[in-house]
Amino acid sequence: MTRAFFSSTFALIFAAGLAATSAEAQLKVVTSTPDLSAIAAEVGGNKVTTRHVSEGYQDPHFVEAKPSFVLQLRNADVWAFVGLGLEVGWMPLLLDGARNPRIRPGATGYVDVSRSVRLLDIPAGDVDRSQGDVHPLGNPHYWLHPENGRRIARMFQQKFSELDPKNAASYAANERAFETRLDAAERGWRPSLSMIAGKPVAAWHTSWRYFADYTKMNIVGFMEPKPGVPPSPAHLAGLIQTMKRTGAKIIIMEPFYSRKTADFVASKSGAKVLVLPPSVGGVRGVNDYVALMKSDIEKVAAALR
Amino acid sequence: MLPSMLESQNPPVPRRDSVARADSIARADSIALVRELEKMQARPETGAPSEGSTPTGTGGPTNPRLIPDISVIGDVIADLSPKGSTQESGRRFDIREVELALSSAVDPYFRADFILGLSDLEGIAIEEAYITATALPWQSAARIGRFHLPFGKQNTTHRAELQTIEYPHAIQSFLGPEGSKGTGVWFSKILAPFGFYQELLLTAVDHFGESEEEGTGLLASEPANKKVNGLGYSARLRNYLDLSESANLELSVSAATGRRAQPVDCDPAVDCVRSDEVNAVNARQSLIGADLTFRWRPLQQGLYKSFILQAELMRQVNERSSALGRASLPGEYAGPRRNANGAYVFSRYQLTRRTHLGARYDWVQDPFADAELAEGSFKAASGYLQFFPSEFSKLVLGLERQFAAGDRKALNRLILQSTFAVGPHRPHPF
Repeated sequence: MTRAFFSSTFALIFAAGLAATSAEAQLKVVTSTPDLSAIAAEVGGNKVTTRHVSEGYQDPHFVEAKPSFVLQLRNADVWAFVGLGLEVGWMPLLLDGARNPRIRPGATGYVDVSRSVRLLDIPAGDVDRSQGDVHPLGNPHYWLHPENGRRIARMFQQKFSELDPKNAASYAANERAFETRLDAAERGWRPSLSMIAGKPVAAWHTSWRYFADYTKMNIVGFMEPKPGVPPSPAHLAGLIQTMKRTGAKIIIMEPFYSRKTADFVASKSGAKVLVLPPSVGGVRGVNDYVALMKSDIEKVAAALR
Repeated sequence: MLPSMLESQNPPVPRRDSVARADSIARADSIALVRELEKMQARPETGAPSEGSTPTGTGGPTNPRLIPDISVIGDVIADLSPKGSTQESGRRFDIREVELALSSAVDPYFRADFILGLSDLEGIAIEEAYITATALPWQSAARIGRFHLPFGKQNTTHRAELQTIEYPHAIQSFLGPEGSKGTGVWFSKILAPFGFYQELLLTAVDHFGESEEEGTGLLASEPANKKVNGLGYSARLRNYLDLSESANLELSVSAATGRRAQPVDCDPAVDCVRSDEVNAVNARQSLIGADLTFRWRPLQQGLYKSFILQAELMRQVNERSSALGRASLPGEYAGPRRNANGAYVFSRYQLTRRTHLGARYDWVQDPFADAELAEGSFKAASGYLQFFPSEFSKLVLGLERQFAAGDRKALNRLILQSTFAVGPHRPHPF
């Protein structure tokens, strides 16, 4: 009896130890935004744990470098970020604070995702801050184009396979499954895309440039006179005229901007305000990348119908 | 596709008489293959971002010349106080400081930061200059050089980046008008045994407080740092806790100690001023403090709403034996006559995306006053209206009322401040 008790106890401890080892063996992935985290989770499956710093309903330019994020980063195997200066106001403090050599610049776990995608709005000629909160290396909101979503997934597959080669087949299968799901979703929202294509709209920030590039909607003006610069009355007056002239029916904005100004412009131009999540988790129910794209495309199509 | 194409170029069993010919064909085919690949890469991919899009995956370095990040902050003051300028320079309009910062990785193990302060009063001063070891084990970090002493919350923030125009009076009184810096070694380790963030910071610096070279005019018969126990030492334990997604609390404690020169009054009957102009003795001074910061910033409305409540309490403990100085020079010790306390409470509320309204209350005991006298306490209340045209510029209107106490008359101050930064985006202080 005693022998059986000790045997089963030993077996339990051994099993628990194995489980713990298995859990510890998971790659710890921390990303700057929930979109990167969602794609990483799809590619990594149960071989990775993912966390993200900013939330989908938060302006990713202005994240507070809270020390609690340092605790997340100090044990991370991968730090993946949007790049192009999106996180410049807070990322250096977190990376310095984390003291984690695996994710410092130049290390294998330091992943600038912008290096693997196609970019828009790379400024030509001289760049300075008289042009607003300009991103000299390109527009950083690239995840709002499904082709870049695929590229991000492929990048994660390569990175995870490099860091964890024994599970490379699993990452490859997960990545293929992600693309298959995205392909199927794209076929599903084709009617919505045909509804959107060519239609004039206004947007708050240049974050919708990639979305417009994909859906072929025509952004006739932005609420911001220059990226990151709050709208002035003179600019809004011009925008209202442009919207009337072009027949723009909607103003697309993120949930973290003040709706009052957009409502004012909408009331004067005869358009309506459409608050769209720019990121996964931006509204309830949008919990993965495909759901984000589907939600945004269908909402725009419905508003333009 | 590429492997299969390459396979098709290699006959499985090459015959001896055709090797040279096969090599030539293979070369020609390789060139054709490379050209085909180049054409393929040049073609836009179906569905990829099209208009003006550029792949960056094959792009080169963004800083090929390895130039350090260079940024400059200007700090301009207009003192419109009714009874004249209250600035150290005596000017109504003044460029208080221009701060030049350079930062870069030195090698895989160190990062270097240099911050030079340029002002009419001080000329060029090395505000900070240190290397940080970034590859230490056990989640620790170390610095060597000159840095802001990690004592309290605001002392580590550069003056131009403060949320008020000047440091709180307790910091000005106990640590110096521009805060306290030290040259030496700095060590930090992250701890989280209870599940929340804790950080231990330890420093050892050449001296505690301002030195004779920094304009105190005090010279002791021997340097305060002659013995190891005369160096400056500090310790700080930060405790940070998320209360919710929007609110967090930091409650930290700090301590610093060191020997510093304190004045000695000469006895008129005795010529105590020696040829080397010794006029001070070294006495131990210690500082202990606690600080609390509560922050609220809802994530979704974070561009428009935020609130900070901050308080620091500190106590200066002074060695003040009457025997001090007797051994080295004849005269009476004229340094601090008591231990002194100081505190401030600061609060700031964000009114709009660009505007913040703040208020501060200061209280400091004068260490040179008699312990029994209430007039040894300095009290002031101030209000601030901040306007941020962008992240890179700030305009502040500050009003301060310094209350009368003893011989000190009440004083009203009205100050305008403008700060502006150029260069790479620096991280927002937290």
